[in-house]
Amino acid sequence: MGSALLELQDVSAGYGPTSVLHAVSLSVEEGEIVSLLGANGAGKTTTLRAITRGVQWTGDIQFAGRSLRRMSTEEVVRCGIAHVPEGRGILTELTVEENLRLGSHLRRNGPEVRKDYDRVFEYFPVLRERRKLSASTLSGGEQQMLALARALLMKPRLMLLDEPSLGLAPIIVRSIFDIIRTINQTDRVAVLLVEQNANLALEMSSHAYVLEVGRVAVKGQSSELKGNESVRKSYLGY
Amino acid sequence: MQELIQQVLSGIATGGIFGSLALALVLIYNAMGLVNFAQGEMAMFATFVAFTLIVHGVNYWIAFPVTLVLAFAGGIAIQRIVIRPVERAPVLTLVIVTLGLATLFNGLAGFLFGYVPRAFPSPFSVQTVNILGAFASYQDLGVIAVSGVVLIAIYLLLEHTTVGLTMRSAAHHPEASRLLGVRVSWMLALGWGLASAVGAVSGIMVAPILLLEPDMMQTIIIYAFAAAVLGGIESPLGAVVGGLIVGVTVNLAGAYIPFVGGDLQLAVALAIIVAVLVLKPNGLFGRPTARRV
Amino acid sequence: MVQRIRSAPPRYWLVAVAVLFFAGFPTVATSFQASQWAQVLILAIAIMGLNILVGYSGQISLGHGAFMALGAYVSAVLTHKYKVDVLATIPIAGLVTGLIGFLFGIPALRLSALYLALATFALAVVTPSLIKRPVELTGGVQGILITQPDPPQLAKDAFATVTGTPMTSDQWIYYVTFAFAVVLFWLAWNLVRHRPGRAMRAIRDGEVAAAASGVNVAGYKTLAFGISALYAGVAGALFALATGFVSPDTFPVALSIQLLVGAVIGGLASIPGPLLGAIFAYFLPIESNQWVPAQTWIPSQIAATVVKAGPAVSYGAVLILIMIFAPNGIVGLANAGYTRLRRRLRGAADRESGHVPPDPQTV
Repeated sequence: MGSALLELQDVSAGYGPTSVLHAVSLSVEEGEIVSLLGANGAGKTTTLRAITRGVQWTGDIQFAGRSLRRMSTEEVVRCGIAHVPEGRGILTELTVEENLRLGSHLRRNGPEVRKDYDRVFEYFPVLRERRKLSASTLSGGEQQMLALARALLMKPRLMLLDEPSLGLAPIIVRSIFDIIRTINQTDRVAVLLVEQNANLALEMSSHAYVLEVGRVAVKGQSSELKGNESVRKSYLGY
Repeated sequence: MQELIQQVLSGIATGGIFGSLALALVLIYNAMGLVNFAQGEMAMFATFVAFTLIVHGVNYWIAFPVTLVLAFAGGIAIQRIVIRPVERAPVLTLVIVTLGLATLFNGLAGFLFGYVPRAFPSPFSVQTVNILGAFASYQDLGVIAVSGVVLIAIYLLLEHTTVGLTMRSAAHHPEASRLLGVRVSWMLALGWGLASAVGAVSGIMVAPILLLEPDMMQTIIIYAFAAAVLGGIESPLGAVVGGLIVGVTVNLAGAYIPFVGGDLQLAVALAIIVAVLVLKPNGLFGRPTARRV
Repeated sequence: MVQRIRSAPPRYWLVAVAVLFFAGFPTVATSFQASQWAQVLILAIAIMGLNILVGYSGQISLGHGAFMALGAYVSAVLTHKYKVDVLATIPIAGLVTGLIGFLFGIPALRLSALYLALATFALAVVTPSLIKRPVELTGGVQGILITQPDPPQLAKDAFATVTGTPMTSDQWIYYVTFAFAVVLFWLAWNLVRHRPGRAMRAIRDGEVAAAASGVNVAGYKTLAFGISALYAGVAGALFALATGFVSPDTFPVALSIQLLVGAVIGGLASIPGPLLGAIFAYFLPIESNQWVPAQTWIPSQIAATVVKAGPAVSYGAVLILIMIFAPNGIVGLANAGYTRLRRRLRGAADRESGHVPPDPQTV
């Protein structure tokens, strides 16, 4: 096909004998925000996990022209993909600062890293305040901020975000999504966004895919999907 | 009073030895949730390597770090070759594998170096120096100094370097660390290498006191278990503190309790283990929860 | 009755054959070989006990050598000091050790698998020192000598009728061991078939779930400890009888390791496993010294090195390899092979009859 940054072709994936995804194809362009929507259990999380090798898959997944087939999770991540999983993957045995350092630990350019730290603390001042504390002391919203900050520090080309709004108060969700949008625009980081909150996701993204029982049921421009009442009612629940 | 101070100092020295081996156990426990029953035998083997170097004319202070490097490499090799294939196996399988390693190293040492006990040279003279009115031997002070340096180095490595950070992260949160690009498998190997080197320190320090032979570490490992359990099996700091407490306690018990002679000091260690496990299973510095993702 | 015999599963036939083989063995083998295999049976009893603890109730013990030592010394002291008939001391030793084991099981309830392994390992290492201390009772480092009994006249006559040679002491001891082994294996088999076995397996597979289903977890775990200690105690007493001598050095930590290894290699949670494991544990160190040089296909330098390196190296290496490639032990391998064979045979039968098995990839 084209030269999309991320390309999934006919990907099927599952846990053991049960298949969760069936021949899913989707693509994310450089610098684009794409939403992945659908009900619980539709396979959204599995799709993200397939990309970072958390689950076995068949088909093909290409990132920046390279197939991810033979790579381990670490190798996929080192190609430039940051995955903030369900549950956020906060390293609770370590401090906030140590969590952040693990975001930037692969980067070599000192001055640039320092600049990014400044930005991160600008977006999320609470992280600077609680730098030395254990990450387990953060609230849900703060942990989400930490996860996002950490992902930003990885300077990825693509971010996989799994339900960033989960369990957060609406006002915090708004600010987090604003920051995601800023990151996407300033750093040209592509985002594959899995969200239950379809409205918010469609507002942010240019394209969207809707999964139903492991298959792509609907896809298209976000603006179109938002305007399409029947799609909204059948698949997006509003 | 003087004698008490002497015994305490002596106990601190042996405590440094126990603490080093206990630290090795803790490092591997953190890496894979398992106590390496072969730690003592690996340390003994490394000590034999050092001995071989010294006997061939290598200066002690060169043989020492060279042995540590070799032990480090050996530890990594063992993790890659023997441990990795059974990484996800149940606890019992892993216990047997480490027991197999212990048997293997013991037999290998006997095969390569023989069973005749050897005198191991110490760079510290047995002369004593007067401290606070008590006589402390240079030997004891030397052991305390060397153990101290090694333990501080490990501490700095773990807490203040990026490598140490990734090691700790891989140990506590393997899956989440992978998503941050940490090569978890290699971090575990590194943990083994480090543990192996630290264990070697313990062996080299104790060899001048006992005689060097394949069974040398079989009692030391029990003291190290006691120290690790007392300190909290997950805590490197606990291993060191536990080592000191066990060292001093065992020394004092041997000196002042007539019932406890040389060979029953080991029973004191067992008593410590049992007491801790029954009264405060998490040890002094351990956390009650702490299960990894 | 005839019907039942014909429809008995093949496993029962194997057991019958094995029992007959072991019963008849001394009539065709030398006295020395009988004493060797008595040692194997002794190990098998101890390993069976350990298997009940580890394989069925899921608790690890690296210290069963200590229970064997206890049983051996109870028997030795009773025989030597109190002139009790040596054969009578064996069940007494078993019961005493079983009781101690049961009491031991109570604090063990609080320990996680790893800590239990650690604590029992420490116990095994300390045991020789603990034995040496009460010199009055145990004879200290010197140990205690046990006079091995002569076979009773009846046995001698029966043996002579069959083989034409008089029965030696070793052969009589073999039969004593064999008798105990049969009884204890039969008891174990019954134990695991009925409620205690089911309860223990439930506990092993998930304590919380077992407790929720109404299983008395604490009761069965301590019971498992007691029973396994009883077996080890009997084995220890038999060991004292067979060796004629006990001393602190006959129960080193290596013995405890050997027992656990035998249990795992034979195959946990199985009845034949302990016997197979005992054979492995007993003969591997010996055979590596004799068998290897005899193999012409192994280059002589390698063979010489293996012999020189000694049993410990091969033992350790074999252990590691088996854990990597066959962690379920010999019985596990046999089961896997048997299943694969059955599947292939059934597949052939299916193909003939045109039967198509359902697709496993149901969605």
